[in-house]
Amino acid sequence: MEKILLSLSDAFAEAPNKVLLFKSFVLTGLIVTSIIMLYGIFTRTELDMTTDSFLDQSDPAIYALNEYRRQFGSDDSVFLVYRAKDGDVFSRESLTAIQQLTEDLSYGAGLDPSDYPESINGIALNFDELNHIRRVQSIANVRFQENVGDTLLSNRLVPTQLPDSDEALAEIKARALAQEDYLLAFYSADAQYGAVMIQTDFGAQPVADYVSAVDAADIVLDDSFGGFDAFDGADGFDLEFDESVEIQEVIFEPVDMLGYTNFHIITKGLYEKYSAQFDFYPVGNPPMMEFMLEILTQMQVLGAVMVLIFTLLLWILFRSFSAVLWPMVTIAASMAWTWGITVWLGITVSQMISLTVLLVFAVGIADCVHVMSAYFTYRRSGEEHYTALSLSYRKTGLAILVTTITTMAGVLALTTSDLIPIQVFGFMSAAGVGMAFFFTIVLLPILLDLWHPGAPDADASLADKLGVRWQNLSTGKKVAIAVAYIALVYLLLGLFVGTYITLITVLTYVVVNWQKQILTYVPYIVAKRPYLILGIFAAVFLVCAYGTSKVKIDTNMTELTREGSPLRVAYEIVDENMAGAQSMVIMVDTKTTDGLLNPKLLQAIDTLQTRIETRYADQVTRTNSLANIVKDTYQTMNNDDPAFYQVPDTEQMISQLLYLFNSANPEDRRSLVSDDYSRSHITLNIYNAGSYEYQIFFDEISVDIEETFAGLEEEFPELDVYLTGSMALLMRMADEVANSQFSSFTLAIIVISVIMIITLGSLQAGLMAMVPNLIPALLGFGLMGLMGISLDTDTIMIAPLIIGIAVDDTIHFMTHYRIELIRTGSVSESLRSTINDVGQAVMFTTMVIGLGFALLSFSDYLGMAKMGFFGSAAIFVALLCDLFMIPAMIIIFKPTFGVKDADTRIIFMENPA
Amino acid sequence: MKKVTCLLLATALSSLVAVPLVNAQQPSGREIMDLVDEAQRATSDSAFNRMQLSTCKFGVKDSRITCAERARVKALESVGKNYGLNLKDTKSITIVLEPAAERGIGMLSFAYDESDRDNETWLYLSALGRVKRIASGSSDDDTEPASVFGSEFTTEDTETGKLEEYQINVLEQTTESGRDVWKIEMIPNEERARKSRYSRTVSYIDKERFVALRTEMYDQYGKEVKRLLASKVELVNDVWVARSLTMMNLVTNRLSNMAILEINTGINVDDEFLTQRTLTDVAFRETELEKIRSQIK
Repeated sequence: MEKILLSLSDAFAEAPNKVLLFKSFVLTGLIVTSIIMLYGIFTRTELDMTTDSFLDQSDPAIYALNEYRRQFGSDDSVFLVYRAKDGDVFSRESLTAIQQLTEDLSYGAGLDPSDYPESINGIALNFDELNHIRRVQSIANVRFQENVGDTLLSNRLVPTQLPDSDEALAEIKARALAQEDYLLAFYSADAQYGAVMIQTDFGAQPVADYVSAVDAADIVLDDSFGGFDAFDGADGFDLEFDESVEIQEVIFEPVDMLGYTNFHIITKGLYEKYSAQFDFYPVGNPPMMEFMLEILTQMQVLGAVMVLIFTLLLWILFRSFSAVLWPMVTIAASMAWTWGITVWLGITVSQMISLTVLLVFAVGIADCVHVMSAYFTYRRSGEEHYTALSLSYRKTGLAILVTTITTMAGVLALTTSDLIPIQVFGFMSAAGVGMAFFFTIVLLPILLDLWHPGAPDADASLADKLGVRWQNLSTGKKVAIAVAYIALVYLLLGLFVGTYITLITVLTYVVVNWQKQILTYVPYIVAKRPYLILGIFAAVFLVCAYGTSKVKIDTNMTELTREGSPLRVAYEIVDENMAGAQSMVIMVDTKTTDGLLNPKLLQAIDTLQTRIETRYADQVTRTNSLANIVKDTYQTMNNDDPAFYQVPDTEQMISQLLYLFNSANPEDRRSLVSDDYSRSHITLNIYNAGSYEYQIFFDEISVDIEETFAGLEEEFPELDVYLTGSMALLMRMADEVANSQFSSFTLAIIVISVIMIITLGSLQAGLMAMVPNLIPALLGFGLMGLMGISLDTDTIMIAPLIIGIAVDDTIHFMTHYRIELIRTGSVSESLRSTINDVGQAVMFTTMVIGLGFALLSFSDYLGMAKMGFFGSAAIFVALLCDLFMIPAMIIIFKPTFGVKDADTRIIFMENPA
Repeated sequence: MKKVTCLLLATALSSLVAVPLVNAQQPSGREIMDLVDEAQRATSDSAFNRMQLSTCKFGVKDSRITCAERARVKALESVGKNYGLNLKDTKSITIVLEPAAERGIGMLSFAYDESDRDNETWLYLSALGRVKRIASGSSDDDTEPASVFGSEFTTEDTETGKLEEYQINVLEQTTESGRDVWKIEMIPNEERARKSRYSRTVSYIDKERFVALRTEMYDQYGKEVKRLLASKVELVNDVWVARSLTMMNLVTNRLSNMAILEINTGINVDDEFLTQRTLTDVAFRETELEKIRSQIK
């Protein structure tokens, strides 16, 4: 093993010069291939940003939702809650405005676009999007049934022509507030809030290229359609049927973020016209997705700033612009190839590609910084260009290879996930990390050969000159400039960003000025109190482990946004004043024609509703189903006698009540039960909560369903009752992601440990290397657990990346130490050289990547912000582990990593000063 | 509120029936549809019909559209008569014969031509033994297209008239099911579009018989969502009638077939028959129906 490692090191030393021999050939090849890749990226990229794309289409959850949509249409709707500024949604002004808004939304075709802004948030208003509206309901158009004498009236709750007298208006209000069915659905109990329900066809629109089977040529009706005799007074006839006939399955158009956003923007354009009368709080998928798209736009800005910070830091740390340009080129090439290969393979990418970019960026920077840090050190110590190149690859090549393998193994663990976009992400990221390695070995030497910083005696770079000029200033002036700078930063950027920039500046200043001193002092400090240091880390480890055990995996849609954000406020308002911002459905499929006319079945539905409403009063606000309709109508038909508010005992009665209801409200009937009365659903209005709570709730409800319908198996052997709806799907997905991430995370740690054990040549060393890896890994989780912050899907998705990046530095550290130990045979010597040589590169990469990631803390999307904050904390802690904990462990345990006769004496006890 | 169901059936029937167009060379779309309308009015009067509605999921096998399950069947009987100025008001009664659970449900409907006079409907539920008048407060607006007896036919599919609310174009002259047809497009105006599920319909009208052999209904995206096929076109009392109408929903893949088992016009209907008494008084109903039936033979 030792020999293999040494010869690998030698091979890496040879690599740059070999590449340079075929410089123009290699470069031409790379450029041509890159152009092909770029062409592929721009012509073949298929980006799928739909939620559905996360699950296999054959997944039972997707199947259930599609079944639901096939029958009842889309369940995607906007619940537009409004607060009347005059405090009463039943005031004349409010009613007039809401009548007009309902009209605008219902019949958008007649609107004049010149009455509206051209665009909102930079997105043009497209009136065609209003075609997605299936139905609009508000107090302006809902009807109520009333028994007057022998007449069953179905009047509008609010007449189109408002009465002139205020008394009559007050009567309308009183009548509305007494309507249990509409209270909380269309207005709050105190009449301050109202709601417009905008139902859409999202997710229930057949795909554009859907062609009905009956469009084929020569299709005719079966003869039995005319199979009755002329005028013989026949008692009817039966249509032939063939159960083996294949029924065409409609495939629905998936909806992506942009589709929802465009729709929400036009809706917003329409309702904001009434903002003088109302404040609006829209909830539902379209407003949610509009927010997400805003986040994506913000991410692009943050990404650009991140690149800027990388650039600045690289320039300041290396004091040469070549150190900025070449890593960027290397990373860009890695990314282009990864993306290019993916699209050339015909794979559809998801929004997770942005995470791949982030990972490749981080890994690429780390790879390049390690090589360049070594190269610059050799150059500054007087080595000639080619020698410096060879030496730096000898020093770093092996470690880069190992980090590449471990990171690849880590992300490949994700491919065990059931979720396709995560699998694609796993493969792409692994490819990207591999590419970064490939380009660091093949392209970077050529680039450094084209342009590299001169020898120490050459002309100083701009950064060097600035540095010298700064050093020459008096202390007083330095302090004055520093104070002015910090004041300016805070003034311009505010508290949070100001602190961040100040932190970057101070850290950079310290590292640039005192890196040598720090690296020299470190072994001394460690050697003096190794047990104390180990003790501190052990305590941190235990606290983190404890915190991790407390962490709650939970995705709450609104809690992913900052407090006070419009989306969060909207959800809170709806939960507080109306019937809850979320809904889901329990599908009841009897698989039997007229099954829902069965009294026992309908009574079971009724029982289930009562059970849910009483047992889950904290989560469920109201339920609605066919049973409600039957009970209502039964009572109405019996002179409103409350004794008849029940499901009747005979099928005939139920059938006729529903016949009546269907005659009066066909649309409502159709939205509740299929035309053949075999399928129906119970709608639950629920408060917004996190996936954790929902999951428990889903499980419990499943048990309730099972128990309630248990006695009906004989009559309905194929009865199928299940929970579905977009929300249930989303929550299931969140749960799935969390689980899959957790298992792949565990798998990644095991795989990385094995690789470490093999590379480091001993079980002891491998395990020892894993401990400093586990601390940063657990730190983020631990802190979140201790601070009571829940771990959401998005954060957990990124966690392995952060850990992969944090681990890289440890691997560099350990690999280098091992090689040195083999070479020198002295623990002391190896440790000192490792801290000195790798220390600088590790510090630089930590600075660049850690501070870059910290920028994400400013995202309005807390999933991203948490990741940024805790991720960069993990990266910085990893640096502390490398500098203090590993040396302490080496000093205490004196591992020889299988090197025989190693000198284990620790000889740098004396103060270096 | 909705158009009343029995009226629908009457109009549905009558829309299939038309008198031959005499001496009309190259008529406009509007003229063709006007003639269909006129014929309708003449044939919806004093009629006694028996019909059957069958609904099923369908598929295609060996190029044939076939039910994939046993169809649900509803059998209905209806009697109608026109009143008022120019006989433009209609009174009609429809009684459900099958299925058993709905047997005896009756619906009496008075539809008035004047727009300011509300239509009236009485519904009799045999299980409850009660009659209810069903009324919508104001006849303003949002008339939702209603499903006819839970079938794929909606009130909109069966309603005719109000031609001034459509832009009617003759697209081409072609053939359908081996017959010469006009292909006529009807696009609702803004007012009409509010009440309609369709952005346009395209009908294939038999040039000789004046029967729509096929009608395609398009949604707001211009996608065909439903298709009506007519078959069994026969001459009844000198009028061509499609006795089998099949409405296919191309999204849900369900179809409904409306078969006119019996169609009788020119029947003498006692005015007393078209009252609430017929709904509740079974003996009376049967006696009166017997009188009507006897006229057929």
